[in-house]
Amino acid sequence: MSKRDEARAEGAFLRGDVGVDGGATAADERDTVEKERDEAREQLLRGRTYLGRELLTWVLWRSEEGEPLVKVEGGGVVVLFTGKVVLRGLAGDVVELAARGDAAAYSPQVKRALASGLLVHQARLRFTVGERAFEATIDAEFLDVRSAKLPELLTEEEDDRAAERLALCEELGAMMDALVGAFLAERTAKPWRRKTLPALRAWMTEGAARG
Amino acid sequence: MPILRGSVTFARFHVDPKAVPRDARHFFSRALARGAFEPLDVQRGEEDRAAGFVTLTDADSTDFAGGVLESGRALFAFRVDTLRIDAAAVRVELERWAVAFQAEHKRPPARRERTAAKGEVRHNLRKRTDPTTRVFDVSWNLASGEILVWAASRKAVEEIAAALETAFEVNPAPRSVVALAAAQKIPEDALAPSPELMGLAGQEVPHV
Repeated sequence: MSKRDEARAEGAFLRGDVGVDGGATAADERDTVEKERDEAREQLLRGRTYLGRELLTWVLWRSEEGEPLVKVEGGGVVVLFTGKVVLRGLAGDVVELAARGDAAAYSPQVKRALASGLLVHQARLRFTVGERAFEATIDAEFLDVRSAKLPELLTEEEDDRAAERLALCEELGAMMDALVGAFLAERTAKPWRRKTLPALRAWMTEGAARG
Repeated sequence: MPILRGSVTFARFHVDPKAVPRDARHFFSRALARGAFEPLDVQRGEEDRAAGFVTLTDADSTDFAGGVLESGRALFAFRVDTLRIDAAAVRVELERWAVAFQAEHKRPPARRERTAAKGEVRHNLRKRTDPTTRVFDVSWNLASGEILVWAASRKAVEEIAAALETAFEVNPAPRSVVALAAAQKIPEDALAPSPELMGLAGQEVPHV
């Protein structure tokens, strides 16, 4: 085999056109809907993203009452979904849905989507502790914090301001950890399947019916 | 610098606070020096990318001995330089060379000559191209072991976590639900998906 033929064969292998035996690999014959659904499934299972989605969906449900969900050093943390919410899932034809609006996350439309099997994948959350409010966009896969708004800094010295800003970021992190802790405690408790899940489903379907 | 001002976007990691010895100053300056940023050698080197740690306040400085500790935290940054040579510019220069070659030798260049010329064109363009620089801040709380990586791109976050792991010989654990469940020693079985929430009641959802 000439060098050029060897390079061509290697290129075909690297592209995935042929297998190790040199034979052509099977063509992907899935239709677009199937491909989308497989991608959605892969996204859901990658790094157990479903746990993050279940967490955000659980927080949405629990936050509707407006009561503190967890306690941290500064007091009880009230969580409110505000602004855009992105839902993703496997069931049905829709694999992603985004809703905008100040209270969009609590709307009958979003509850209907949740009832159909979509879960919250990304949301803008407001955490209120006492008189201080934090806001951040959180994603289900990594719980990364994006475009956060912190309470106003009290110090004026540049170095102190940096330290205060970092302390506030860490406080925000501690609130998220507390939420995850509360969610995991509830999810691993016995009533999760028997009581919590049916109650969560009922909240979705009743809310959807009201719309 | 996002730590000091600007958009608040970060990924969180946790390391055992005991990983930092009493002589924190020496620990940080030595580990950061180990993974320090080394600039690309545009004139001689062939590398198109360089990445490593720099000081928080000066992305050109790798002098960590001056101190990276402030208010119980280590503050530093991770710099990534990338050299991108515009493919269209290579094509234009190569065509220009091919025309000159044909005029001189009264024949088109052979494949091998063209390949050699392409390498030379790339090398010359490389010398004239400035690398693009991106700097990501990192803060490490010594008492809690909380590390904030101030980057929006997941690729950058993962690269920085890997660099921390190598330079500091620590294992930064992400603060995801899975990682927090693992830290609480929750058994794998308890972390199976809830099909009822996914509209898949009665079906088994496979999971890792």
